Amino acid sequence: MIHHIQNKIYHVEVLPPKQDSEKLEKDLERFSNKYLRVMDSGYCACITDNAMGLLSFQGTEIIEELDLPVIPEQVMIHLNTFHTKDDLDNILNICKTKGIRYLLIITGDGSERLPKLHPSDVGTTDVESVTSVELLRYINREYPDTFVLGVAFNPYEPEEHEFEKMERKIKAGATFIITQPLIERNEIVDRLLKKYPKIPVIVEAWMSRKLHLLSEAVGYEIPENTEFDPISTLKMLHKLYPGCGVYLSLLGFKTQYDLIKDTWV
Amino acid sequence: MIAFTDAERKEYRNIWVVAEILAGEIQPVTHELTGAARILANLRKSEVWVVVMGSGIEGKPESLFAYGADVVIVVDNPGFSGFVDETEAKIMKRLIVKYKPEVVICGATTRGRALIPRVSVMTHCGLTADCTGLSIDPENGDLLQTRPAFGGNIMATIRCSNHRPQMATIRPRVMKSPEPDPGRTGRIIKEEMLTSDSEKIKQIIDVFHSTETAYNLADAQIIISGGRGMKGPEGFNLLKQFAQRVGGAAVGASRAAVDSGWIPYAHQVGQTGQTVQTKVYIACGISGQIQHLVGMQSCDLIIAIDKNPDTPMMQIADIAVVGDLFEIIPEIVKGITNL
Amino acid sequence: MKIVVCIKQVPATNDAKIDPETKRIIRKGIKAILNPFDTYAVEEGVQLRDKFGGEVIVLSMGPPKAEASLREAISVGIDRAILLSDRAFGGSDTWATSYALAKAIEKIGDVDLVICGKQAIDGDTAQVGPGIAAHLDWLQATYVMAVEEISTSSIRVKRMHEDGYDICEMSLPAVITVVKDINTPRVPSLKGRLASNKFEIPVWKPDDIGADTSKIGLDGSPTRVVKAQPPPPRHTNTKKIEGSSIECAQSLLRELRLRSIV
Repeated sequence: MIHHIQNKIYHVEVLPPKQDSEKLEKDLERFSNKYLRVMDSGYCACITDNAMGLLSFQGTEIIEELDLPVIPEQVMIHLNTFHTKDDLDNILNICKTKGIRYLLIITGDGSERLPKLHPSDVGTTDVESVTSVELLRYINREYPDTFVLGVAFNPYEPEEHEFEKMERKIKAGATFIITQPLIERNEIVDRLLKKYPKIPVIVEAWMSRKLHLLSEAVGYEIPENTEFDPISTLKMLHKLYPGCGVYLSLLGFKTQYDLIKDTWV
Repeated sequence: MIAFTDAERKEYRNIWVVAEILAGEIQPVTHELTGAARILANLRKSEVWVVVMGSGIEGKPESLFAYGADVVIVVDNPGFSGFVDETEAKIMKRLIVKYKPEVVICGATTRGRALIPRVSVMTHCGLTADCTGLSIDPENGDLLQTRPAFGGNIMATIRCSNHRPQMATIRPRVMKSPEPDPGRTGRIIKEEMLTSDSEKIKQIIDVFHSTETAYNLADAQIIISGGRGMKGPEGFNLLKQFAQRVGGAAVGASRAAVDSGWIPYAHQVGQTGQTVQTKVYIACGISGQIQHLVGMQSCDLIIAIDKNPDTPMMQIADIAVVGDLFEIIPEIVKGITNL
Repeated sequence: MKIVVCIKQVPATNDAKIDPETKRIIRKGIKAILNPFDTYAVEEGVQLRDKFGGEVIVLSMGPPKAEASLREAISVGIDRAILLSDRAFGGSDTWATSYALAKAIEKIGDVDLVICGKQAIDGDTAQVGPGIAAHLDWLQATYVMAVEEISTSSIRVKRMHEDGYDICEMSLPAVITVVKDINTPRVPSLKGRLASNKFEIPVWKPDDIGADTSKIGLDGSPTRVVKAQPPPPRHTNTKKIEGSSIECAQSLLRELRLRSIV
């Protein structure tokens, strides 16, 4: 992961088609095009796992069905706790076979339609509910030396609670961290960097002009018509956090994609 | 559909309650519904009849007169020791054809919800499930049934103009049980289970009574409930601590918390979970989506704790505490310990 | 073994928002989804077919767009699907709906088991399952949390009750309604979903199932909705407690003691 930061490799989020899509073939084509473009540019494609509890198809099954090429350094799969054990093992096995090494392990958002791992599925009995910590341990135990595991850090949640969770995640085997979207200098992220100087940290940059959509994430109301320039914010983030990688969410593939290659200086 | 004529409709009189019997005991929901039936019967100037189908219930049906029953039809047979929906449905149909009740109500319990839909099809009647209100239309005497629909976002009023009896089920703890009046009397009608009632039926092989399979939210005096604001399973540990300190308290949850895997489904309160009518409901970090509110809005005292003062839950609460529940709740727990 | 699973496409009521001015549901933009309780019925049908062989068919009564939910069922392994759709079915209450489904099941013929979800999240009545059983005069078991055994002639199920459970055995054909405890519905795979797009789904009308037109649709429904309005607001005289966390805790503690709660 350090290598990604040193070589200025962007992490580009590519969202898989939703299960209720009415034009699935078209959505798959669009996904495929985005994915291939990211491969070509030398960036790392990051595929989400039922983000926000909205049923979507899995990155691994799309890669298999569409026979997409996997460049091991350039693919990251999100993996959350809302799977059956069989599904989980299936995803991990496909990743292993295809050489996908980078996994972002998160607790995730559930929904009525999603199953959930039971503590016994991941070999533990002393917790009520499986979080990213238990999943990290499971993967390290069942697939030693196979994957590079990362976790999420949310600077907008209660601070002490978040740091206590991070300590447990790192003890469970996390080797890189991705933050929630930042739009300015964040003191809590600064504290994170100070506390874990040896662990690669990737800050998330929100690439949509619709800043108000972040209101729920940041915990305060952002007015709907707030002016926001994602590209200049991205440049600012590089200046503020030169030692960090960057994860781009909601990147506009039509209008913004070509602009970003000149932003990481 | 062949509708009843006015004359045919008038032949149907009296408000019936189908009793809920568990292990030979008449359940509280039956008292609640008998009280509700009494109000309807007074408006219709008719009687309340309760149908009791059970095994070994000698002497118990008489207790229903005190709750407002005028007549109790008793079918006492060992065949009722297990719940055989088909048998009870056949008997109900026979009784309905024989005695022509105007209204039949029953508890919306697992048994009630298995039995009454079957009866309503067999007798060609309209049935409204999970009613929260019953009234009589003063113009024509029809039963007006009110219930939540569309996830609790609508209150629908339903009428069954052309068929009799009109049927409804009501969840336990929605109606309030009346104060029993021991001076009231009534009459018993004994009916029999016929061999034809128990032909071609299911066999009950085993019955297991337990308080473990259903988490006992319903019986708790106080429910301390958590939602998205609890942020994770550790948050629910805090609520369990709180509940322990307050004697007789149970822990509830919103659908969001259950879907996130923070606490099992058995704790869920709301439209697709349990309906509760406790004395005290303390909602922690629950925004108060209507699907949750329909499950707890008739609790006597609602207390809400949230950072956001403007959520629907904070607005319907009797006491709204604005602040960080992760700081406030430990302080309360400390305070109770030091009392 | 021939199994029919009855499903319904419903509005995603859990996502419904209320217009703050009119206090009515904003119906525009609400997605149509497969009734969540039915996913358990579909899964059970597929699991039973996998274990015991035979065919599992999914049946739904609804508007033409309900086809999407039938395809969703196919994408997790259902063998075939049938849509009951016609203007004449519109406005059906549970009596008329269960009648139409029962006629369709008769038309399918030689059905051993019908599986339904516990209830639909828009109507919430839980009446259609037992209604189908009554129309067909078959045995029924509701709130089924496990199918313990099944053969060509009988089924043994575990039924959930408030006070525990019971085990009952009944001869087939029969109708069961299932609860969430029974299984974990699989999520459709991409492969399954792409394959389901190629399936043909026949549309049956009242004539196809020999339905008595006086027993379907609005005319066939004994119940009528006469009014639909926003729920009444609870009486509100909210007492607000604010301040530091310690102050809030102390104030609340005082309130709890005043009312003898602690």
